[in-house]
Amino acid sequence: MYQTFRQSMTWLHTWFGLVLGFVLIVVFFFGALSVFDREIDRWAQPATRFAPQPMPSFDHLLRPVFERITEPDPDAVELARSMVDGPLPEKYPVMDWSAYTTHRDPVLDTYVSFDVPNARNPDDHVHGHQTIDPRTGAQLSASDLKIGSEFFYPLHYSLHLEWMELGYWIVGFAALSMLAALVSGVVIHRKIFRELFTFRPQKQRQRVTLDLHNLTGVVALPFHFFFAFTGLVIFAGIYFPVSETQLRPLVEAHEQAEAAATGLPHDPAGVAAPLASVDAMVSDARRRWASRGMGGDVGFLFVNHVGDANGYVSIYRAGTDRIALTGQGIHYQASTGALIREDPPETAIASVNEFLTGLHLQHFRHWLLRFLYLFGGLAGCVCIATGFLFFVEKRKQQHARDGVAGARIVDALAIATITGTLIAALSMLVANRLLPEHLADRDEWQRNVFWMTWLASGVHAFWRSGFTQEGGAAPAWREQTLLVAVLAVAAPILNWLTTGDHLLATLETRYWPVAGIDLFLLATGVTASLIAHRLRRPALAHAHLATMKP
Amino acid sequence: MMLLLAFFLSFVGLALLALAMERHWRQLRATRPLTSTAARSLRFAGSVALASSLALCLSVDHASMASLVWVMTLAVSAFVLAMLLAWRPGWLAPLISWSR
Repeated sequence: MYQTFRQSMTWLHTWFGLVLGFVLIVVFFFGALSVFDREIDRWAQPATRFAPQPMPSFDHLLRPVFERITEPDPDAVELARSMVDGPLPEKYPVMDWSAYTTHRDPVLDTYVSFDVPNARNPDDHVHGHQTIDPRTGAQLSASDLKIGSEFFYPLHYSLHLEWMELGYWIVGFAALSMLAALVSGVVIHRKIFRELFTFRPQKQRQRVTLDLHNLTGVVALPFHFFFAFTGLVIFAGIYFPVSETQLRPLVEAHEQAEAAATGLPHDPAGVAAPLASVDAMVSDARRRWASRGMGGDVGFLFVNHVGDANGYVSIYRAGTDRIALTGQGIHYQASTGALIREDPPETAIASVNEFLTGLHLQHFRHWLLRFLYLFGGLAGCVCIATGFLFFVEKRKQQHARDGVAGARIVDALAIATITGTLIAALSMLVANRLLPEHLADRDEWQRNVFWMTWLASGVHAFWRSGFTQEGGAAPAWREQTLLVAVLAVAAPILNWLTTGDHLLATLETRYWPVAGIDLFLLATGVTASLIAHRLRRPALAHAHLATMKP
Repeated sequence: MMLLLAFFLSFVGLALLALAMERHWRQLRATRPLTSTAARSLRFAGSVALASSLALCLSVDHASMASLVWVMTLAVSAFVLAMLLAWRPGWLAPLISWSR
């Protein structure tokens, strides 16, 4: 198609980057926010602003919690509808109980998995879930949305398009194209080493955006590559569902063989049995970890085949000091508390897999690395955003002369995905503080504010980008940047007015989750107002947008 | 604390490598050409600084974590360095104060 390899790579980079860039910038932005998902949760849920808690006593506190979760969640019942041919079952038998926590969680997520007796696939099951205060066992209201871990984080990998797992597929395809864009970007970059540290803000706009695009792409290249790649690894089961299709018999045979080898029963016996003290098992597990020279916080606790003679309890150590999420599992017989097995050290393959998924999911305790990830994510946003701006700058004069709308459409979409995303996220935080506390469906309202403001910013972007078509700068950039500034300053003020936790107080008590989010919001507000000020001078408009923090 | 030092060393290392390049050397020493000996010593010193930065990272964390910290540290350092070279190249002058 093209004369040279470099030309074809330029075509690939430009067009795949353009189309999937709109998805990727959303993925990068909400991925960057997800690095601090637990902290955003604390900001959005003032009732949970207390110190992180260890896994509480199972016998006294967790067991009654699990026992009161007798039904799947309403959305899980909806899901069950697609698993059965006939009517829904009357009753869902309890299969397993589990609880997962990290060093950043004051609240604890508890899960019960239920069998769906008449499901087409006998392995199908559904979940019931409660978030509790681990100090008292009290349930937190389900309509109290965890904006960070329940909204921004799933948006990062599924776009909240649950139908047919469409969102996962779009994000997966975007990640694959990201890998292609990185490779083709390196190919078309003429002077990757000679211009490694090159940024020339005094040159003309097109050059500046390209410099910044190259800089943010190249310095964080390992980050971009590894995160796109490990993201695909994490969801490999969705993209290559071989274990559910062709290899199904093999997988079942493997599960049986593994159960035989480890002594951990694969199926329930069908005979009822009591549950021994799990707290005793936990303290035994801690002793065993300590004897291996490892600190012993419980990260994941799992009771398999609840109430059955084949039941067993698995206790996993929190992966705070490693990249892996959890590890060093120890398993006990549920009815007697007798040790069944200690997991041997990981095989090479398993540890590579744990490293790849763990480095992406980052439940470790390392604040510096967390901030470095935030930088990587934001660098990715700047890289994609400057890619759009470069595309527009390069073509808009030509398109203006030809009377083509191409540059204008791309510019409007860029506005909607850059400032629009910020406006939607900030509006959601503002709505979180403004909506009455006991409003029914408070979580739905917050979600709707997010989607509606995003839509409105898109409409505004198309309406106010006519100048791009005439070769000028779209006023929508400045107007939306101003709105970002207003919202980003309003959020911490509203946090102060509604909770009393103003910045001076949170800084004095060193309550970093809320102080950090407030500081970050204020920094965004200041940056956005500086940019809006610069945008008043049309000649500089695009050049300086490029330096904007997304 | 060790990690801050590792961060600083990774920045210094990259800065020395950048100054071993004709273009950036001239930003600081417009009149004096970059000799090949100077370039070689800058590159050597830069590599040593980067290696020590990695060693410091490894001394603090488990190797799996340390490698990530080091790579990401390099990314931030390179970005900061590019910004300094664009706006305040003079701040890097102490690194080549021996060549007056």
